[in-house]
Amino acid sequence: MALSSRPSDLLFDNVEKSFDLRGAPLKVLEKIDLACPAGSFTAIIGPSGCGKSTLLRIATGLEHEDSGSVTIGGEPPTTLAHRGELGVAFQDPALLPWRSVTSNIALPLDVIGKRPRDVERRIDDLIELVGLKGFGDALPAELSGGMRQRVAIARALVTDPSVLLLDEPFGALDQILRRQMNQEMQRIWLESQATTLLVTHGIDEAIFLADQIAIMATSPGRVAAMIDVDFPRPRPPDLLRDPAFHAVCDQIAEVLAEQLDASKVA
Amino acid sequence: MNLQIPAQVQYFLVGLAAWEIAGDLDLVAGGALPSPREIVSQAWLDRADYGGHIAATLQAATIGFIIGNLVAIAAALCFVRWPITARLSQGINVALFALPPIAIVPIILIAFDGMTPRYILAAISVYFPTMTAMLVGLSQIDPRAADVVRAYGGGPFAILRLVRLRSSMPALLGGLRVAAPNAVLGAILAEFGGGARWGLGTYLLGSLGQANPARLWGIGLAATLIAGLAYFAFVLMARKMTGATRAVTIASGALPQTERGGWITLIVAILLPFIVWWLLLTLLGISPIVAKTPFGLVDYLFLATTAESAQTRLLEALLETLPLALLGMAAGLAIALGLAVLGEIKPAIARTLMPVALVTQTMPLVALTPLLVLLLGRGITVTIAITISVTFFPAFVTIAQGLQLVSRAAFDLCRAYGASPLRELWLVALPSALPYLFAAAKLAVPRALLGVMIAEWLATGRGLGNLMNQSRGFLDYGMIWTVAIVSVLISLAFYQAIVLIERWWQRHGQ
Repeated sequence: MALSSRPSDLLFDNVEKSFDLRGAPLKVLEKIDLACPAGSFTAIIGPSGCGKSTLLRIATGLEHEDSGSVTIGGEPPTTLAHRGELGVAFQDPALLPWRSVTSNIALPLDVIGKRPRDVERRIDDLIELVGLKGFGDALPAELSGGMRQRVAIARALVTDPSVLLLDEPFGALDQILRRQMNQEMQRIWLESQATTLLVTHGIDEAIFLADQIAIMATSPGRVAAMIDVDFPRPRPPDLLRDPAFHAVCDQIAEVLAEQLDASKVA
Repeated sequence: MNLQIPAQVQYFLVGLAAWEIAGDLDLVAGGALPSPREIVSQAWLDRADYGGHIAATLQAATIGFIIGNLVAIAAALCFVRWPITARLSQGINVALFALPPIAIVPIILIAFDGMTPRYILAAISVYFPTMTAMLVGLSQIDPRAADVVRAYGGGPFAILRLVRLRSSMPALLGGLRVAAPNAVLGAILAEFGGGARWGLGTYLLGSLGQANPARLWGIGLAATLIAGLAYFAFVLMARKMTGATRAVTIASGALPQTERGGWITLIVAILLPFIVWWLLLTLLGISPIVAKTPFGLVDYLFLATTAESAQTRLLEALLETLPLALLGMAAGLAIALGLAVLGEIKPAIARTLMPVALVTQTMPLVALTPLLVLLLGRGITVTIAITISVTFFPAFVTIAQGLQLVSRAAFDLCRAYGASPLRELWLVALPSALPYLFAAAKLAVPRALLGVMIAEWLATGRGLGNLMNQSRGFLDYGMIWTVAIVSVLISLAFYQAIVLIERWWQRHGQ
C-alpha cells in the first residue's frame, strides 16, 4: 500500500525546551543537535530525567520545541503525522482494551482516515511479522505483556512509516523477553527500512540495535557524546558475548560515569 | 460486591421470618408494622388499582429518565470537547446538584400541568449523576492512548471518537444505575404534590389516612421494587460490558473539579443560572404574579410591605429545619464512618452491611416516609430517622468502597509490627477513610435537606417543608419561590463549608 516509501532524514537543529516548575523555568533540553540519516537506526541513552523522552515527544509532535527546529525530510513532524509517515510506540503499549489485536493495529489508519484496499492482508502480514499469528481476534487483556508490546510495534508499522519513533518500547519487559524482542526489532527494522529513533536505558539494547548512539547528560539535558556502532548486520544473538561488544559497553559506561562525576562536582 | 447467594438467601429468610412473627404478634408500634403475609394479601385485594398507578409512575419515570439522560450526556460531551462550556455552566450544574428536588415541586406544578411536572422532576433528578459520571468517564482516559491518536495527527474530535466515547461506557452505566432509582423518586415526588388521579405517589398519599398499614407498605414496597429493578438492570448491563463489577459509585455524584477560568468566566458562570431562570419564565410566558423572577423575589423579600412578615416566617422555618438537617446528617455520617472503619478491622461487619446498603440505596427512601410515620409517629424522631437513613447508606457505601482501595500492605505492615486492632484502626483505617468521609459529606448535603423537608411536609408540619406546603395553600407564590431558592443556597453554603473544612484539614490536620 505504501502510504509512503521515501526514507527521510530526521534532524534536530539546536532544539531547546524548558518546562515550568512551580513558576520557575526548568531547562530540560539545551542545544540539541542530532542527525539521524535516512534509513539509519539511532539510539538515545542517558540517565532518567535527562530529557530523552521529551526529545522523542518533540519528534512525534506531542511537544513543541521552544527554539530550534525538528524536521523530517525537511518538513515538520506534524505534517508527516497527518500523512501516516510516522510510526510511534511507547513504553506502555497503550492498546485500547475494547479493540481486538487486528483493530488496535488498524487504529492509526482510523486516525489519518485512510483505509488502503489490501488493509486486511497487510495487517495479517504484520501480525505474522511480530509473531502473533492466530491472535488477531484476541483482546489486549487476553495477551501477555510481551505480546501486547508486539501489537504496539505492529501498530507503529501499519502505515508503512518512513520514520519510527520508539520510546523505551521494551522497557517494561523482563530481560529474557527483552533480548528476544531486540532480535525481532532488528529483523523488523531491516525489512521496513525506516529511519528509527529509539529511546532506551538499556546499554546493550542500544548497542545491539543502533548504528549510532547519542549519550545524553542531565540538567540541563544535552548530548554528551555520540558513538558509532558498526557491527555488521544482521547481528547475531551471541554478539552480546563478543569482547568487541563489551568494549563498546565499557565506552558508554565511562561516558555516563564521567557525567555523573561532573554533576556531583557541580 | 461478592454475591454469596446461599448465605444471603439465609439472611433474607431469617429476616423475613422475624418480620412475619413481629407483624403477626403486633410487636412493633402497636401493629403499625404489618407482616409480609398481610402486605401480600392486601396487595392481592388491591391488584386492580396497582396496574394504573404503577403504569403512571413508570411512564413518568421512563420519559424523565430518557430526557434527563440525553441532556446529561450531551452536556458532558460538550464540557469535554469545549472546556469553556464546563466553566460557564458551573453555576447551573452547582444549582442542579444542590437542589433538593422537593423544593421545586410547587414551582413546576404552577408552571406546567398534566404529566409534564413529573417528566421534568424525573429528568432533573437524573441529570446530575449521569452528567458527572459521563464527565469522569470521558476525562479519565488512558493518556497514552490519547498520545497515540495525537501522534498520528488526530485532533480532539478524533480522541473523542476513538478513545473517550468507548472508555466512558463503564462510568456512564455506573451513573445510569444511580440515576434510575432517582427517576422513580422524582416521579413520585411530583405526584405527592400533584393531586393527579394515577401514580404510586398519589396512591400512597391517598391511602395515608385510611388506617391500613398493609396497603401503605405494599405501595412503598412496589415503588422500591421498581427502583431496585431499574438499578439492577444497569448493574447487569455494566457486568456484561466490563466483565467485572467496578466501584463506580464513588465517582458519580460529587461536583467535578473544574479549572478556574478568568474573572469574567466566573461572573458569567454565577449569573447564568439567574439568566436562565429569568429567560425560562419570559419564554414560557407565565404570569409574573405566579412566577417570580430574581427581581420579583428581591422585591418580595426586601421591598414589599409584606417583606417583614415574610422574613420572619422564613427565619422561623429555617431555625426549625437547619438544626435537624445538620443533626441528622452528622449522625448519618458518623454512623457510616464508624461502621465502615470497623468493617476494615472486622470484615464480617462490612460483608453483612454492604449488600443491605447497596439495596437500600436503590430505595426511594422518601417514598417510604408514610411508613416511617406509621412506625415513629409525627414528632422530631421521624425527621431525624428519615434524614439519617437518606444520608447513612450512600455515605457507608462511599467510605467502605473507598477504604477497599487502601493498600492491604499498609494494614499488613502494622500487623507485622504487632499493632493491636485499635492501633491499626487509628493509624491506617481512620486517616485513609477521611477523604472519603468528606466526599460522602458533600453528597449528603442535598439529600439531608431533602429528607428533612419531606418529613416536615408529610409528617411533622413544621419548618421549611411545611412553609412550602402552606404557601401553596395560601397561594403565596413569593414564599414558594423563596423556599426553593433559599434551600438551594443553604445546600450550597453547607457544601462550601465542607470544602473549606476539607482544605483546612489537608493543610493542618495531617
